[in-house]
Amino acid sequence: MPDQRSIWERTYNRKGFVAISALTALTAACGSDDDGDSAAGGTTTETTKELGGTLHYYNWADYVNPKTYPAFTTATGVKIKKDFFVSNEDLQAKLQGGARGYDLAAPTGYMVKILAEADLLEPIDWAKIPNATKNIDPKFKGLPFDPNDEWSVAKDWGTTGFVYRTDLVKEKPVSWRDFYDLATGPYSKKVTVLDGAPEVIGSTLVMLGHSYNSEDESELEQAKQEMLKLKPHLLAITSTEYKQMAIAGRAVLSLGWNGDGAAVAAKKPAEYIVAEEGGEFWVDSYVIPTGSKNPDAAHAWIDYVYDPAHNAVETEFTYYGSPVKRDLLKPVIDPEVFNNTDVFPEPSTIEKLEANAISPKGTKLRDRIWTEFKAA
Amino acid sequence: MAGRSGVGGPRYPAWLALPGAAWYALFFLGPLGIMAVFSVSRREGYTDVVYDFSLENFRYLWDPLYGDVFLRTFGLATFGTAATLLVGFPFAYYLARYARRKTLLLLLVIVPFWTSFLIRTYSWLIILSPDFVLFRFLRDIGVTGEDFSLIYTREAIYIGVVYNYLPLMVLPLYAALERMDWTLVDAAQDLGDRPLTAFRRVTLPLVLPGLIVGCLLVFIPLTGEYLIPVILGGDLTVFAGNLIAQQFLTARDWPFGAAIAMVVIGAMTVMILAFTRLAAREEQYGG
Amino acid sequence: MGRRLLGGWAVLVYVFLYAPIAVVVVFAFNGGRQVLNWEGFSTKWFGEALRDPTITEPFRNSLIIASGNAVAAAALGTLLALALPRMPRLLRTPLDALVYMTLVTPEIVFGISALIFFVQIGIPLGMKTVLVSHVVFNASVVALIVRARFVGMGQSLEEASYDLGAGPVSTFRQVTLPRLAPAILAGSLLAFTFSFDDFITSFFVSGAGTTTLPIRIFSALRFGVSPVINATAVMILGLTVAAIVLAYLVLRRTDQARRRAAVVPGL
Repeated sequence: MPDQRSIWERTYNRKGFVAISALTALTAACGSDDDGDSAAGGTTTETTKELGGTLHYYNWADYVNPKTYPAFTTATGVKIKKDFFVSNEDLQAKLQGGARGYDLAAPTGYMVKILAEADLLEPIDWAKIPNATKNIDPKFKGLPFDPNDEWSVAKDWGTTGFVYRTDLVKEKPVSWRDFYDLATGPYSKKVTVLDGAPEVIGSTLVMLGHSYNSEDESELEQAKQEMLKLKPHLLAITSTEYKQMAIAGRAVLSLGWNGDGAAVAAKKPAEYIVAEEGGEFWVDSYVIPTGSKNPDAAHAWIDYVYDPAHNAVETEFTYYGSPVKRDLLKPVIDPEVFNNTDVFPEPSTIEKLEANAISPKGTKLRDRIWTEFKAA
Repeated sequence: MAGRSGVGGPRYPAWLALPGAAWYALFFLGPLGIMAVFSVSRREGYTDVVYDFSLENFRYLWDPLYGDVFLRTFGLATFGTAATLLVGFPFAYYLARYARRKTLLLLLVIVPFWTSFLIRTYSWLIILSPDFVLFRFLRDIGVTGEDFSLIYTREAIYIGVVYNYLPLMVLPLYAALERMDWTLVDAAQDLGDRPLTAFRRVTLPLVLPGLIVGCLLVFIPLTGEYLIPVILGGDLTVFAGNLIAQQFLTARDWPFGAAIAMVVIGAMTVMILAFTRLAAREEQYGG
Repeated sequence: MGRRLLGGWAVLVYVFLYAPIAVVVVFAFNGGRQVLNWEGFSTKWFGEALRDPTITEPFRNSLIIASGNAVAAAALGTLLALALPRMPRLLRTPLDALVYMTLVTPEIVFGISALIFFVQIGIPLGMKTVLVSHVVFNASVVALIVRARFVGMGQSLEEASYDLGAGPVSTFRQVTLPRLAPAILAGSLLAFTFSFDDFITSFFVSGAGTTTLPIRIFSALRFGVSPVINATAVMILGLTVAAIVLAYLVLRRTDQARRRAAVVPGL
């Protein structure tokens, strides 16, 4: 198998996932008990540490199975307080802005690097997370944004592509070029893109045959021109509402993430596509922000979710790939999810993707383009 | 200590203003001051801010792209002010002159604003949705076409703006109109003025101060509005407020964001100083 | 004729103002989760909202902050209102300008400046920073309202009080303050409302542990309108209306009492 390390960097702004239902489900589920998942086979470790205290979890919304919270509390006695952010930059702005007291967060890889360099993270003590040490797929260790695994432990991974309603779109788009052509053509005003400069600019760059992370001004200028042509045909720029819009049929083409795509496909006839030309590949990781009041609880959570049975529960909810070894997951996870290539893309799919590794110069150039794009 | 006589209530010593002034100095001017410092700093790497005095940010801002954004913001603020004035003035007039139970009616204007601003604005998204009763009805009776949709459009932003800023215009207008002596208007008409002329010559001058306050209360905050364009406009348009928020939340270029903010603050300060000088003169020479 | 037209316009404006409120209320009672379909009457969302600590805790925070802020704003604002009218022009114009500035500065600008300020100075973000920031603009609200009342009040009663030999402090306490009370109350009420509903400033200066209700609502709404949130809004609306009605009744009673007392010969 080819060395996939370079692909494991990622970049992008990931914003939360959908659903009212998530939040209401969250509130509903907080009262209910989890139906005991069968832990047949696999290496199930008992998390018997009775810790008490509170875990303050700052996370993407709709990113944890609501059942996991009470289950964790039952297992460890730790109560959970949740706050949600909508983008990595939100998280960064808050932490840089002096917010202290979060015990656990789950930013995307490139943000892990930024936060680590800004001294906003506390080190991970792998001795406290035996489950992770044992069950993590070695591919997810030593990732480029954290080569010594000092600051982060992988949470899940995914791709950036687009989802389209197969019943409302006659054609079968397979590339970014298709996406653009259909958006500026027959499906004008029924298209959304993510509210993220790296994703939209990156995907356009890739369509033109350049690198997702390019900082070449002429290449970026080309991408900008394409984007400006696309702008008048957009229904909205959103990272949080496109799932809903796609399900409602108001949007038929949406630039987005694989998990959301799979979620739409589960409800309506739709397909998530990783574009032919390429796209982005990302990993989200657990980190412990500076100023954490209960790092032990944070470690306990990581350990808890690295139990394959618990991880399966997570993956079945979020539809994002799990970093736990595949063979450990197999016995405990819903086979449909396990075999869903949107959730667990094939290596061949991943090969053509890049991870976010945009330099400060690249970021500044992209900001400018993004402003122009939005102001158009 | 407290002296006597003079218009304007009993005389109280100026040092009573000290606590308030100190609070402003510390928690308002302080922040703005630091913002000013940031606007002449620059970003280094991904997160650091370096304080060497440089006007680079402002130079970067001097560009048709950003000029467009400011122009568009000015346009929105002007539209909002004009629209709330057009909608709010007849309303305030009716309330002040003809209505009974004025306090109740006035309260009824404010009550909707005790729900959260966010919820009110999101509700407009529902009302304007093509799948909701309003537009389904309009489509059924043929007033609007099949594909007509207002959500995530400029028009939706305008509706949201007028909705949320209306009370800010109505309240000062009402306050000014309420103090009017309507017999003056009647007298003018008795003396031969047509209603509109009476309005122009009698009512308008007396109402002007309230009108100006209303305009200021709407115009200035509107220049920084950014949630309504995001929620109702699908985040498809950039105004000054969005630009600033973007720099801080997404682009992480705080110095640049600070520079944009300084421009907005500068424009605002000029307007306010002009207004307070005017108002002070009014107070002195009667009004 | 003109009067009728204007009346019609007023009605239209009220419809416009209450349209979203109606939507919120109706869908708070909607049995179904999807906002666009009516699925029967139900009050379950209210129960859910009340049982949900991620809603009740921010609600409590908002209440505490808004109340503290109302008290501080009332104190600072009233003092400002008393001192401003008679200040020498050199001091008064800048202070006046400041009062307006704090009111009209776009929140995005103020919120971010406050954040940077607190961070640079090293003040930890949390309930206190939110409260302190809210007082900045709410003191101005109170100042403006009280000043308007104060300036229009006339001084005959105060002068009479001095004539009768009362000192400035007791005159203030027994004559001026009661007359200013309605304005101070109105100002405090507005200050409370603005603080309770504040989002942008609070968002920036609240730090990690403090979620206010609007912030919580925002996180929920990013992902679509939710019936639980609607229910929460309706409850808050109900509470505020009740509070206002109560205040109105109390004020009317004391007003009547005072008017009756004033008829007593001698003053």
